[in-house]
Amino acid sequence: MKELAIAIGMVHIAAAIALLNGLLTTFGQAKVAAQAIESIARQPEAADSIRSIMFIGLALGETSGIYGLLIAIIMLFANPLINTLISLISN
Amino acid sequence: MGLNIDNLWVINVAGIEIWITETIFYTWIIMLFLIVIAIIVRIMLRNFKEVPTGIQNLIEAAVESFDNFAINSLGEKLTYISPWFFMVFAFILSSSLFSVFGIRAPTADFATTFALALATFVIMIFIGFKHRKGDYLKSFFSPHPIFFPLNLIGELAKPISLSFRLFGNMLYGTIILTLYYALTPLFVQIGIPALLHAFFDVVFGVLQTYIFVILSLMYVRSAAE
Repeated sequence: MKELAIAIGMVHIAAAIALLNGLLTTFGQAKVAAQAIESIARQPEAADSIRSIMFIGLALGETSGIYGLLIAIIMLFANPLINTLISLISN
Repeated sequence: MGLNIDNLWVINVAGIEIWITETIFYTWIIMLFLIVIAIIVRIMLRNFKEVPTGIQNLIEAAVESFDNFAINSLGEKLTYISPWFFMVFAFILSSSLFSVFGIRAPTADFATTFALALATFVIMIFIGFKHRKGDYLKSFFSPHPIFFPLNLIGELAKPISLSFRLFGNMLYGTIILTLYYALTPLFVQIGIPALLHAFFDVVFGVLQTYIFVILSLMYVRSAAE
């Protein structure tokens, strides 16, 4: 039972660490948005095309954040290692 | 609405169990909604006018704006596949807007988003072979045959990242709303969730629909050129 408690606690810490990539993702997205605002201020007539390119850049930068989120969700709700541990303990 | 995808019915067809999950049922509801809208539009457009009035105006504006969007991102010669992407746009948009009513969005299930991304992948390969023939196959071996595994992984990563992006964005709205409904007392569950739904379902839904479609169009275009 004690091993299981330690493993579940570790899983929660690991999920929190996986979500830390949000720091860098946010930084990258902020850079994309800042550059887009700068270009729109320099060339207001090209605002529409810059805006659509900015959304694509934001989406591509968001991918790593989404991967971290999915890894955290898989570790919390669908972790195969916990089931292996439970079956090992019960044997 | 919850974290898990519940199973509604199990149907036995010749000894094979088919599980009808929440996702399939809500997909049917959305399909029915879209089909009914299409039939209504078809009946109302029976007397087609040269100068549009009323509902015809609205439909023409929607189709024309999507056509312009597709021409801008696909180029002139590939516009014959834009109806498929209009369908994808309508389906993802209505599925995220339907989750305002408290049903679980079908796009918050990885099966749905992976099916849509797989369709984009198949279209991408088909268009590549149709427009560039042998050159498309050769592009996997450029600049040198030693780069083949790298190029193959790059191509295979496209549907995976496309599907995971939509799935993750829809799922975290669902998770945050489920946590809100589960953790708060009853008297704050009236009114305030409307703002959360507006943010996570409507704003993010529209944005992610746009991103999914425009990235698909860009992948298809890059395969054809």
